[in-house]
Amino acid sequence: MRRILTLAGIGVAALLGLLWLSGGVDSLARAAAEAQRALQAPLAGAVRAVQAGQPAAWAGLMVICFGYGVVHAAGPGHGKFVIGGYGLARRVPLLRLGTVALAASLAQAGVAVALVYAGVLALGWTRERMVGLAEGALAAASWGVIVVLGLWLVWRGLRRALQQARARTADAGHGLHHHGHHHHDHDHDYEHDHGPDCGCGHSHGPSVAEVAGLTGWRDTLALIGSVAIRPCSGALFLLILTFQMGIGAAGVAGAFAIGLGVAVVTIGVASLAVWSREGVLAGLGEARVWKVLPVIEIAGGAMIAALAIGMLLGA
Amino acid sequence: MHLAWAMAGLVALAGPAAAHPHIFMETEIEVLRDAEGRAAALRVTWTYDPFFSLVLITERGLDPDGDGTLTAAETAALQGFDMNWEPGFPGDTYAFAGAQAVALSGPRDGVARYEGGRIISSHIRDLVVPVSGLLVVKNYDPTYYTEYTIRAVRAEGCATEIIAPDLTEAERALQAALAELPADVDVEMGFPEVGAVFAQEVRVTCAAS
Repeated sequence: MRRILTLAGIGVAALLGLLWLSGGVDSLARAAAEAQRALQAPLAGAVRAVQAGQPAAWAGLMVICFGYGVVHAAGPGHGKFVIGGYGLARRVPLLRLGTVALAASLAQAGVAVALVYAGVLALGWTRERMVGLAEGALAAASWGVIVVLGLWLVWRGLRRALQQARARTADAGHGLHHHGHHHHDHDHDYEHDHGPDCGCGHSHGPSVAEVAGLTGWRDTLALIGSVAIRPCSGALFLLILTFQMGIGAAGVAGAFAIGLGVAVVTIGVASLAVWSREGVLAGLGEARVWKVLPVIEIAGGAMIAALAIGMLLGA
Repeated sequence: MHLAWAMAGLVALAGPAAAHPHIFMETEIEVLRDAEGRAAALRVTWTYDPFFSLVLITERGLDPDGDGTLTAAETAALQGFDMNWEPGFPGDTYAFAGAQAVALSGPRDGVARYEGGRIISSHIRDLVVPVSGLLVVKNYDPTYYTEYTIRAVRAEGCATEIIAPDLTEAERALQAALAELPADVDVEMGFPEVGAVFAQEVRVTCAAS
């Protein structure tokens, strides 16, 4: 059953590819923009209701902010791009990638709160200035981190491919089936960095957890940082507006509600990415996975870097 | 430091591929004709979305009682709030005589009001060369930070039409533009401004008088 589910990922991958090619992604983005447009009036109404002290106004604002986050994230954006791209490129377990997606969205809300309150309280900045910073330098920084992350994936993929090539040479005299040596007591929570004599290039069917343990704190930081560093304009608008209305707490809570809404979408994207990747890998058969992993990583990393460089150059 | 500024500037231009709109406008275009019946000017009326209207009104300290209407003094204070265009800002409105771009003057006669919780702001742009025959008008933000939807066209004595963008065609144009990007992307050229191909198109044909 589990295997069937995993293999269904091939279908998911095919569907996603088809959606992309047919311009469905663009239609989705437009539908998301439509939904967001429809939310602008209720959002304004909910903020007014909180200011007027109406009962249940807070709950209403939180619900609308959450929805705003969902539809906002459903449009094109850097968060989904980097989380999804990473999930395709690297064999990271879903739970971990999902947690990173959630942390990134909440950290993004935190950055928005920090920017607005530092801006209005300490620096006396206008809304234009704060939004300009978010859409300018911070957006650039975000794409910059994504470029580095992409290149980092390429580099690691290359290194792993090299290691495998060397290992195959070193292994040439052995049979294919010597499993039991030193694979079981590694601490896989850090960078998988075997020497060339490790012999891990052969087909011993590593579990997802074993391989995925390679995801280190640097990746986690880069993923969260690249998303968080660029606050969403909608959250900035809400925070500045509520501060000026004297209902700042509602705005801060609303910003985090938007973050949770965004997280729902990025976690969804993470799931699709992991499912597609695992499906394709399962279809290939575990024996070939070892060989394919560095290739996926190099290709995925190169794509992430290329697109992010394009955005950065403004591109 | 220069690099940081350069990067910031570039990304400000970047938008389209990763951008999603944050501000939503509804547009009405009115074509003003000269004595010879040619299209001479455009009156562009923008209705801001309720949330951004609230942001703009609140940061100016207007409508403190939140009833969605302004006093005469407050309305006076609102005038010209969106008319301080940086030099060279095209104002998100573009005009064409057939396929030929027609330059537009800067904005004049800006008027703004606040109604039912929405700011409605209009201004006039003169067509530098009056147009007889087919006039095409588009209203879009190349960076797609603001989404414009043209709701109405008025042109007395003229045939008018609002054409929705051909999304399949727009998608093709986007792919083509992306494919044409050289490996060493010219920084000045920048990312193809594809906002235009996703924009609605207003077609106005006035009978000569």
